[in-house]
Amino acid sequence: MTPAMIKARNVQKYFGQLHVLKGIDLDIVKGEVLAIIGPSGSGKSTFLRCMNFLEEYDHGEIWLGDELVGYRKSANGKLAKDGAARIAAIRTRMGMVFQSFNLFPHMSVLENVIEGPTIVQRRKREEAIEQAKALLDRVGLSAKIDAYPETLSGGQQQRAAIARALAMNPEVMLFDEPTSALDPELVGEVLDVIKSLTADGMTMVVVTHEMSFARDVADRVMMMDDGIRVEIDAPEKIFTNPSHARTAEFLQRVLR
Amino acid sequence: MLEVAWTLRCLMLHTAFCVPYLGRGDIEKAPPQFMDYTWHFQIVWEYRAVFVRGAIMTAQITFWATLIGLTLGLALGLMRRSQIVLLRAPAATFIELFRSTPVLVQLVWIYYSLPILTGLQMSNTVSVTIGLGLHAAAYFGEIFRAGVNSIAKGQWDAARAIGMTYTQAMRRIILPQAVRRMIPPFINEFASLIKLTTLGSAVAVNELLHESNNLINNTYRPLEIYTALAVAFAVLIYPIIYASQRLERRWQLRQ
Ligand SMILES: Nc1ncnc2c1ncn2[C@@H]1O[C@H](COP(=O)(O)OP(=O)(O)O)[C@@H](O)[C@H]1O
Ligand SMILES: [Mg+2]
Repeated sequence: MTPAMIKARNVQKYFGQLHVLKGIDLDIVKGEVLAIIGPSGSGKSTFLRCMNFLEEYDHGEIWLGDELVGYRKSANGKLAKDGAARIAAIRTRMGMVFQSFNLFPHMSVLENVIEGPTIVQRRKREEAIEQAKALLDRVGLSAKIDAYPETLSGGQQQRAAIARALAMNPEVMLFDEPTSALDPELVGEVLDVIKSLTADGMTMVVVTHEMSFARDVADRVMMMDDGIRVEIDAPEKIFTNPSHARTAEFLQRVLR
Repeated sequence: MLEVAWTLRCLMLHTAFCVPYLGRGDIEKAPPQFMDYTWHFQIVWEYRAVFVRGAIMTAQITFWATLIGLTLGLALGLMRRSQIVLLRAPAATFIELFRSTPVLVQLVWIYYSLPILTGLQMSNTVSVTIGLGLHAAAYFGEIFRAGVNSIAKGQWDAARAIGMTYTQAMRRIILPQAVRRMIPPFINEFASLIKLTTLGSAVAVNELLHESNNLINNTYRPLEIYTALAVAFAVLIYPIIYASQRLERRWQLRQ
């Protein structure tokens, strides 16, 4: 069996008194596309954000390859929070795409895309620009290279944000409801771009409410509810014959 | 124009508080000659060098106080946003102390107490400059903090997600956006700092107001001289306010 690219073990997270993640286990292999579904407030975003340590998990372990995310194991086996530099470094290996795009509004599309490569990875500007142009071409934004985010449609902004994440040459892409903020007619163009990444064998975790996308594109689907991994299985199984009543109920509600 | 009127009113208020030469008696004696008062504005022209001297002093105090205020204010704003209590608490105390006491009290306190507390002798000009600098730092610190806080959390998320450290995110992503929002309140604060230099006359700093008062002692022409003084301040300050309004409008259009 291929070793897992991302490994989560008993991941738990509290917001104050609120127990948001109640012990999530997960293995994602290289090249796998995992869709995470579940009702709003079930902890999907929080779990995704724990993977690149935008949220600090309180218990358990998350591994990217053979590196522990966010923590260091000391000699006595206890976990201590990692230094800021190492946390930043491990984040460069994961690309993240947000529901609200979060492009940098004071920079053009091209500047958005080369910001990480030039400032964080300290790559040569010309090389970064070349790569950015190729990426923007790929997401269909060649004509918008010098445009500012405010002048773009939501779909264009999200495609630019995907290019920005890809420019770091990440090993994994994390998507948090990438189409939820879009007008219905713009959803397709963004999903097409995400779908096209599977052709390169990109490892992806996609939190989504687009059930047809999860069914067609994902290798496995994970159902979350109330901070718990209810079940994880092949899409055919989840969508036709789920093992848990909670999954069936949820699907009935969203597929109606 | 409203701002000019306001500036003038502030000046008259400062004048009323800071000018011992205009005792009640003088005002009560004034009415008989008031109606048929003949203006002698040439006196202002004759003594123009005094006004220029005062204006230079006012500009110098403003310049150094702004410099102190910006540097210290930036540090205070950053400290107050820190998660470390040992940084946050002193910054908050400093800021709130300076925001909740009158500037005049701050200036005279520093003038009389600081040499005793630090053992350093300093001129009244230096003392007032430092006092106004500390005062400005408190306000600039708050402007800085509010500006940084006004940037959406998603910008921090996006910056950190591409692997930026706190410093990189602050310098490349947050500050460039926050500075735009900070400039209008900063200019307001700067304009009020220029006006506050008149408080220096309380400890005999030769800024514009104090020079004017000295002049009045020699010429007995308060009306002309205070009028010229008000005009001088308006000429100094209104362009700044005008530029700030223009800038604000342009940025509103671009957003
Ligand atoms: N920063 C936060 N502070 C406090 N509570 C939060 C925060 N973020 C999320 N939560 C809470 O955690 C729970 C899970 O949220 P989230 O992970 O966003 O769910 P989902 O993405 O599945 O809709 C919700 O109850 C939400 O209100
Ligand atoms: Mg969510």
